[in-house]
Amino acid sequence: MASTPKYVVIDPATGKIDRRIFSDPAIYDEEMEKIFGRAWLMIGHESLVPAVDDYFHTYMGEDPIILTRDGQGRLHALLNMCRHRGNRVVRCDDGNAKRFMCAYHGWSYRNDGTLEHVPGETEAYYDALDKPSMGLLEARVETYAGIVFATWAKDAPSLEAYLGDARWYLDTVFNRRDGGMQALGPIKWLEPANWKTMVDNCSDNYHVPTSHLSSASVQARYLGRPRLSHADQFASPNKHAFVNGHSITFRDADDNFPRYVHGVSTETFRLFEEYHVATMPEVERRLGTLRARQVQLGNHSIFPNGILGFRLALPRGPLKTEFWHFVLLDRDAPGELKRAIRIGSQANNGAAGMFEQDDVDNWRQVTESSTSRFARQHPQDLSMGVGHAGPHPDYPGMVSERYISENNQRLFYQRWEQFMNADSWAGIPLDPIQARFEGSATMRG
Amino acid sequence: MTNVTDQQALWLDLMPFYIREAWLLDERKFKDWLGIFTDDVLYFMPRRKNVPRREADRELTPLGDLAILEEDRRYLEMRVARLDTGMAWAEDPPSRTRHMVGNLEASLLENGEAQARTAFLVYRSHLETDHQLLSGYREDVLRKVDGAWKVARRMIVLDANVLLDKNLSVFL
Repeated sequence: MASTPKYVVIDPATGKIDRRIFSDPAIYDEEMEKIFGRAWLMIGHESLVPAVDDYFHTYMGEDPIILTRDGQGRLHALLNMCRHRGNRVVRCDDGNAKRFMCAYHGWSYRNDGTLEHVPGETEAYYDALDKPSMGLLEARVETYAGIVFATWAKDAPSLEAYLGDARWYLDTVFNRRDGGMQALGPIKWLEPANWKTMVDNCSDNYHVPTSHLSSASVQARYLGRPRLSHADQFASPNKHAFVNGHSITFRDADDNFPRYVHGVSTETFRLFEEYHVATMPEVERRLGTLRARQVQLGNHSIFPNGILGFRLALPRGPLKTEFWHFVLLDRDAPGELKRAIRIGSQANNGAAGMFEQDDVDNWRQVTESSTSRFARQHPQDLSMGVGHAGPHPDYPGMVSERYISENNQRLFYQRWEQFMNADSWAGIPLDPIQARFEGSATMRG
Repeated sequence: MTNVTDQQALWLDLMPFYIREAWLLDERKFKDWLGIFTDDVLYFMPRRKNVPRREADRELTPLGDLAILEEDRRYLEMRVARLDTGMAWAEDPPSRTRHMVGNLEASLLENGEAQARTAFLVYRSHLETDHQLLSGYREDVLRKVDGAWKVARRMIVLDANVLLDKNLSVFL
């Protein structure tokens, strides 16, 4: 018996999308349960808690989470909520601690979540408190190439199945070197926009030549970076792919040319090229020839709220999002290269980034136009490239014919519908892993 | 005039310097503003973390970690040049700003350079109703170039952990 799904927000044939999903508080509340309560969420990176007893304070959606590495080196994602009254037990951004004490009444917890000490346990509680059941609430944790994910859903599939063939593309950045990556950051700021707009923007290559023309043109002039005109973008051989719920864009490059990541300029290009060439044998061993030499991950988002790598859109109500900008660096890259990427990263993205600062008013006004009773009756139009995407002989996922397309965005909102209409994980479809993962790289790095 | 110590003379030199800078920024004379920096300037804004009081030495992220801003002169020039393209949307239409700079403390260094710190409150109004108040301090190292003080190193520290603002598109 097929019941009518509660949420039908996008018409795949026309790309018309109901604006209320960007502003309705009741829909937002349901998203927190059905999406952020179920999905594997990026919450941190192993390099943020390198030593035993390190912790890093993060979020799963709106919920504050302590990512810890316990005395045995195991990772935990603990809800930062004292089981007594609900106060936070950690108020710092990071640190090293064997236990966390609630500042309200002094309950203290070990960094594996166990409730260790309750003042007056005998005198006030008459030894009747069931301490073993009162540890900090713990989410499931798994890692992919050092990136830490967590989920509240006991019935969620493995992280490997959740990422699926998207990992085939993600590996080309995050799983490139034997030594793995290290995370720096985050820069944190509050954007007055719905979280989904900045996520779907990851596949919106159409906005780049307009939203970011000023930054691209001065960087072309001063740094020798690409101009990113509309003509360049329309003619680009690069592609979109929607893979198992995740939005990928990638460069289909047969010239074995280093990626134009943040920090590449006329002056630093040789540095990037030398690194690319010097590490290629290792990268080919890890990823196989096709992925090492030809496939280069571009803008992408990991469902639901990962943005361009390990950067997070943390929902703070329907009209606000706390944005966390990290930069990930190959741990074994030369210092000079890391410096170039780090400086390029803050110059382009982050609260003051030249590119990122020009996005915010767009996203904000897209969100705000969804609050007006009149305006929200009129759908957004995501019709670009309808009918021009499909399976590809070489590349996993639903691959668009062009780099400029709204195919990924349409599929992102259909993925949103799948989560919002499902009663449990059993109702959320997953694509089987079919890609050929050549090379030695695995989920563990 | 009564005897003025070197320290007082420096203060009297630098206070008008910082007032002048504030007017240049608020009057959007950004190319002139670039003139206050040396060619080898480092313009740096670390992140500011919540740490326990006894670990206050970890509160500011060091140079080498990811910073909110880590700019050399060329990057600053790019940011200013961008504003004239007509498409720097975060600042077009431009913000209305008011830089209030005070609490100056300054001292001469043995190598002839000077160090100075100032506190600031910067108000920004943008588009119709957006507004923000940026509070913080700056620590500058200044050097005399052709007889005029220039900023060779500026560290800007905001009194915020999560910035409450949609972006940081104004200069501090």
